[in-house]
Amino acid sequence: MPWRWNRHVQEAVAAYLFLLPFALSLLIFFGYAFVRTVYFSFTDYNLFESPSWVGLQNYLAIIQDNRFLLALRNSIAFSVIVTLAQTALALVLAVVMNNRLRGITVFRTAYYLPSVTSSVVITLMFIWMFQRTGVMNYLITAAIVYRPVILTFLGLTLAAQVLQVLWERWRGRPAGWFEASLLFVSLVLAAAGTGALWVAGVTEPVAGVEPVRIVWLNTRRTIPEGGGWWSIPLPLAAIMMLNTWTTAPTFMLLYLAGLQDIPKELYEAAEVDGANRWQRFRYITVPMLRPVTFLVMTLGLIGTLQMFDQVAVIGSAAPLESVITLAYYIYHNAFPAGAMPRIGMASAAAVVLGLLPLIAVLIQRRVVERK
Amino acid sequence: MRSARGWRLAGIRSALAAIVIACLATGPALAQTTVRVSGWGGTDVAIVEELLARFVRPVVEPQGIEVVYEPIADDFPTYLFNALSAGTAPDLFYVDIFWAESLMRAGQLEPLNDYLADSSVLSADDIIPELLDAFSLDGKIYGIPKDFNTLALFFNKDLFDLAGVPYPDENDDWNTLADKLRRVSALGPDIYGLALQPEFARMGALAFATGWEPFDEQGHTNLLDPRFVEAFSWYTGLAADGTGVHPEDVGQGWGGGALVTEQVAAAIEGAWLLGFLRDAAPNLPYGAVPLPRHPGTGQRGNLIFTVAWSMNSASQVKDEAFQVLEALTSPEAQQWVLERGLALPSRAELADNPYFQQPTPEAQANRIVFLGASDGFVRPFKFLDYGGSWLDPINAAINSVILGEQDAETALAAAQEQLDLLTGR
Repeated sequence: MPWRWNRHVQEAVAAYLFLLPFALSLLIFFGYAFVRTVYFSFTDYNLFESPSWVGLQNYLAIIQDNRFLLALRNSIAFSVIVTLAQTALALVLAVVMNNRLRGITVFRTAYYLPSVTSSVVITLMFIWMFQRTGVMNYLITAAIVYRPVILTFLGLTLAAQVLQVLWERWRGRPAGWFEASLLFVSLVLAAAGTGALWVAGVTEPVAGVEPVRIVWLNTRRTIPEGGGWWSIPLPLAAIMMLNTWTTAPTFMLLYLAGLQDIPKELYEAAEVDGANRWQRFRYITVPMLRPVTFLVMTLGLIGTLQMFDQVAVIGSAAPLESVITLAYYIYHNAFPAGAMPRIGMASAAAVVLGLLPLIAVLIQRRVVERK
Repeated sequence: MRSARGWRLAGIRSALAAIVIACLATGPALAQTTVRVSGWGGTDVAIVEELLARFVRPVVEPQGIEVVYEPIADDFPTYLFNALSAGTAPDLFYVDIFWAESLMRAGQLEPLNDYLADSSVLSADDIIPELLDAFSLDGKIYGIPKDFNTLALFFNKDLFDLAGVPYPDENDDWNTLADKLRRVSALGPDIYGLALQPEFARMGALAFATGWEPFDEQGHTNLLDPRFVEAFSWYTGLAADGTGVHPEDVGQGWGGGALVTEQVAAAIEGAWLLGFLRDAAPNLPYGAVPLPRHPGTGQRGNLIFTVAWSMNSASQVKDEAFQVLEALTSPEAQQWVLERGLALPSRAELADNPYFQQPTPEAQANRIVFLGASDGFVRPFKFLDYGGSWLDPINAAINSVILGEQDAETALAAAQEQLDLLTGR
């Protein structure tokens, strides 16, 4: 009888065979590239002359390069703030989207759109919106011009709502302050009242307002102003908002999947015990989603530390120092405008960028495990 | 009956036969040499395609040279540096003056002196010397300039007429021009005299007019030199009193865009503006004059932007590639480029070309830009091999002063600090 592999070995071989295509491409395009990058980071190399060994010189050069330190500061700030913001936003969006409402799929699609749209396209639209003569400044100018009208409208709405609720309560009905039917009536009344006052000339748009020309992107201002090393450049803050808005919906999907796995019984039991909405969210939803949160934070950290495209597209629309991130610093050194490639320095920065998520995820695991 | 093996052999045999026949059929094609040519995309694609079809292929194809054109849509230098390093670069390619020096120093470009010496069609004396110098290093010529541009003052005649102000002319100096621009900008709150693109690629021409040099003998840059400060203050000062405007404030990304809004009376641009005006504002009555003279030196300054055809030093078909290069820069090809108003050719003899005597605004503007290359203090748009690292601090300073975020003194001090790190002090 011929020798035969036992089942166990057979299964293992099959598994490795299935893994082979991916493992090979990983080995060639990541493994090989990684080893080369580490090697280049210890050499002086400009793509043309053969690399010469310089030891740690590249690493010393980058930590003395002010631009590298700025990029590192920007990357870390970007990563921490955006990861936290997008995780929080994704969780809130997922909880809201998890409601069984009519037409909720329309909202799910709408909220997911920013994530499927090309980030290059979004960034371009974003640059146009935030130009000195863009939509953003136009809206602010409009708000200033129509301030009296807007204030009148809001004031009338508030007055009508308060009067209606008090009236209902006086009549013995338990009306809430935000009851939808009353609010609708108030809005209609306020709109009519504002229109009448406008026609009568009591409330009017402010005349002769200078158009607002805030520089959003092409600026060296920081938040907070004059905080030196600790303040965040305004253009970078703008990219943070943009990035949070475009990536949160992807993580919302992960949270939505996680929410489906939480047993309904837990909520029912908590309700019986008299837990309110916030308590149920805080003591059931959040702890039950912890594995998803770990995944979301890890993916978020990796993604944000490698952020490149939005800086590249903004390009000369903002000063380099105000938006440069590590990934862009690497590119900027590998292909500096009008100068020789500095592959050694770029590789050293790439190694640092590679280590950062590793450290971040290790710390994060420690924190999660301790809990 | 044949065995399965027999069938297989028969199959192989007939396949071999087919290959042999195919080889015989395409035999002459194998004897051909292929020269690969590359440049960037955009409007250049149509120009190069037509140049190849009209002037290059008819000359070189009878000699068995096939020309393959491979335009690169975006980020050409990155592509080229990678391709050169990987050994897959084309045989002939564009080299912009801005990044030429790195490639020359890295030995990636073939010195053309010997080819030029042997050529009966193309000689170094044919090319405008300022352009050839820009692509030369230590006596070696690394590229044949294909065309060039300088800066001129383009203005909207309507706005000057409306304001009753005489047009800018070639006798203007900084003061008289500023005065004219100021009077035009008085037309209204949304009308400006000059589009102030916040870049050394514009302001630099004014700095050169003062006699300022970008590098001293030791290779250091001094922005605190009173001459540079004067040019910087004149340019950014126009923004402070509302005579000039940041193009973004009229919703545009550059001076040419600002000019077609008809809110801005003038812009400092090169002949690349003409094609844009033809498309974007065909009815705009414009004129072009040389940049103003500096009142002290009485001279103009200017920047030369130029692109050359260079040869890959690792090319396997250098002689054939040079033949293609000859045809690409032949007098007939350059005359065609000039007459189509596509670019300013690099051959010196074309200065007396009848085209420049035509009364159209386009031909006149081309003449002004052509003459700009040899009038006063003219420097090529290259900064040793520092490239963007040298420009960035200066551009940042110009921008922040025009936006009113910093005063000239602070901005220049900050820029100088960065250049000290770069060029030493």
